[in-house]
Amino acid sequence: MRLNILIGGGAGQGINKISSIVSQILVKQGYYVFNYRDYPSLIRGGHNFNVLSISDNQIQSHESKIDGIVAMDNLTISKHNKELKKKGFIIRPTKFLEYGLNLNVALSGALIKILGFGNKILIEEVKKQLNNKQALEAANKGFESYDKKYSLKKLKNKLIIKSGSQGVADGAVDSKIDLYFGYPMTPSTPVLNILASKQKKNKLKVIQPENELAVVNNALGASFSGAKVMIGTSGGGYDLMAEGLSLQGMSEIPLVVYLASRPGPGTGIPTYTMQGDLDVALRSGHGEFPRVVIAPGTAEQAIQKTNEAFYFAQKFNTLSIVLSDKHLAESAFSFKEKARKILPISMKRKIPGETIVKASGYEHDFHGNTTENGEMAIKKTQLRLKKYSEIKKEASKFEMVQMHGKKASKNLIIGWGSTTGAIIDSIKDLDAKFLQVLYLKPVSKEIKKEMEKAKKVILIENNVTGQLGRLIREKTGIKIEKRILRYDGRPFKSDELKKELSKWI
Amino acid sequence: MDIKTSKKLDTNQKITWCPGCPNYNILDSVKLTLTNLMKQRYRRKDFVMVTGIGCHGKIFDYLNISGFYGLHGRAIPTAVGIKIGNPKLDVLVFAGDGDTYSEGISHFVHAAKNNSDITLLVHDNQSFSLTTGQATPTSQKGFKTKAQPFGKLNNPLNPLMLALISGATFVARINARDVKHSAKIMERAIKHKGFSFVEIIQDCVVFNVDMNHRDKQMDKHPNKKRTRLEAVKLASKYDYNLGKGRISLGIFYEE
Repeated sequence: MRLNILIGGGAGQGINKISSIVSQILVKQGYYVFNYRDYPSLIRGGHNFNVLSISDNQIQSHESKIDGIVAMDNLTISKHNKELKKKGFIIRPTKFLEYGLNLNVALSGALIKILGFGNKILIEEVKKQLNNKQALEAANKGFESYDKKYSLKKLKNKLIIKSGSQGVADGAVDSKIDLYFGYPMTPSTPVLNILASKQKKNKLKVIQPENELAVVNNALGASFSGAKVMIGTSGGGYDLMAEGLSLQGMSEIPLVVYLASRPGPGTGIPTYTMQGDLDVALRSGHGEFPRVVIAPGTAEQAIQKTNEAFYFAQKFNTLSIVLSDKHLAESAFSFKEKARKILPISMKRKIPGETIVKASGYEHDFHGNTTENGEMAIKKTQLRLKKYSEIKKEASKFEMVQMHGKKASKNLIIGWGSTTGAIIDSIKDLDAKFLQVLYLKPVSKEIKKEMEKAKKVILIENNVTGQLGRLIREKTGIKIEKRILRYDGRPFKSDELKKELSKWI
Repeated sequence: MDIKTSKKLDTNQKITWCPGCPNYNILDSVKLTLTNLMKQRYRRKDFVMVTGIGCHGKIFDYLNISGFYGLHGRAIPTAVGIKIGNPKLDVLVFAGDGDTYSEGISHFVHAAKNNSDITLLVHDNQSFSLTTGQATPTSQKGFKTKAQPFGKLNNPLNPLMLALISGATFVARINARDVKHSAKIMERAIKHKGFSFVEIIQDCVVFNVDMNHRDKQMDKHPNKKRTRLEAVKLASKYDYNLGKGRISLGIFYEE
């Protein structure tokens, strides 16, 4: 069973509240949900929509054909009517306009009724999220105004729901982060906001400096004085930080960077998605120095992989980049609740206040003083190189790639990051396996092995040049000829991707 | 120099400043300041210096305290980060006029506005000297350099006035060559809680020599409580462009 519900309205009308109320209820009833957010860069008006996908099985994507429309305005209906399946339903705003700001709550009530759930769980959830008289009235009115169309029954799954951003924030908190520095920029901002909201509880501080140059240099300073730090940014903000990343390379002070990309170049399409920044994640910053680049594909992976990024940063005094994008950052994923395995992050370096310690952006001797001596330069350069080989060795103990689908299949799909959910869902009925690359620096030897075993290899990326493909060619010498690339700022939908893949497999 | 400073502050690095450079005097002033502070409640291991990039930055190698040799223009945010990371540290920033007023001026304004608890010492020789003498934001209009062969086209800024209107809570000016007076002011600056800004008037013996030898124009003004506006007025007396007017030295403003 799978349903895709499109929830649309003007910015500021509160469509996200509908997604939040309904998906919380669904998850508590044991249903898997995935919520995609589509919104332009404006604050009031325009047209925003979410696609809330629901299933009794694990799903991590949305589809193009819609089972129902929840419309906060008429524009939503006229815009999306053609995506609606023949017997699809529409919940219109007209009956509930009197509820004003609680229109979204009324529509949530109607949707819960249509899905076949009872009023009690609806009221419980509305009380939990809003708890005011008007909202409860609106929820009841919505519930009473529609007939049930489906009969969803409670399932036994114990699930939780999180956005990719929440996953990154959780991973940082698990790693006992002391300080998070960030300058607002979509789509990295949610992590800034999430971490800021619970500073006392999580014993951390969130700081918004004057610009990204200050962000990265503040962070290096704070890390030098002994704090565990992470910084967050997107596209242009990351470019501004590049010199600081290079300073990290020479000064060898632990730094975790959360890079959430969006379509570029330039300001690009700020509120949409693209995997266009793998190249800069791997290479930005002048000079040659080690780094770790990890790209989780789901909220659950984001928790674990952010924790690993902290681990590498502190253990090797290195730069760790957690690479995400708008689709991962702002989509909501449901998954089975289980106890998290947290890597303890220990700090093993000298810090000022305890002893005399010097860090430097110049090439320096073992005391930290500047050197222009060629022999010393060779020694220090080789030490940085050696550090990278130690990082590679250590990384091999972690899950650098993940295999999905039919393990024995000769049809191999390769992808990374936020396309993961759509790829997994698209190959459920296909003779294919999917190799998800989680570590982009260093890369796993498994990639080459898998490619050599496969008959067909297909690359899927949300960008125009196939940046992972280039990386794989660099590391393995193998060029992937078959590529499915999407670069309209929108993520892959699993049904469309399945159709596309069926042409090749 | 007849000053006694703690040997613990020395390093064995070869000093590569030009002969006669007032940076030697600034180094002496800093050592004297730290020596005096270490006789009080201050510990050597709690001092952290951050340096920018330029001639001034070499002081990093000549002082045996903790430090971070940062990026050009970014010494201030690095220092702010160090203080946030461990508020118990006493954080000093050595930066140049190119560093502070050109590449990193936004950080200067914000650190003053935010009253970040660091001490900023700007070695202002009105020239980018380590890159062979181009004009900085405090160089005089008309200053001819290899990069500005027709002379600098615009007027210099007055850093003290900028610091004062940006909200700095300690603003002072010293003469690099006057080690004892400099050390007194630096000590006050380090003890001040909040953003302390000390502008150091410094000759460059090689570049922009037209602006050198102004000691006769300098007056140590009396230490007294001033309003921010009175301090701005006092700071405006010296014209960075013409090199004219009395150059007041000492603490302009403290709150």
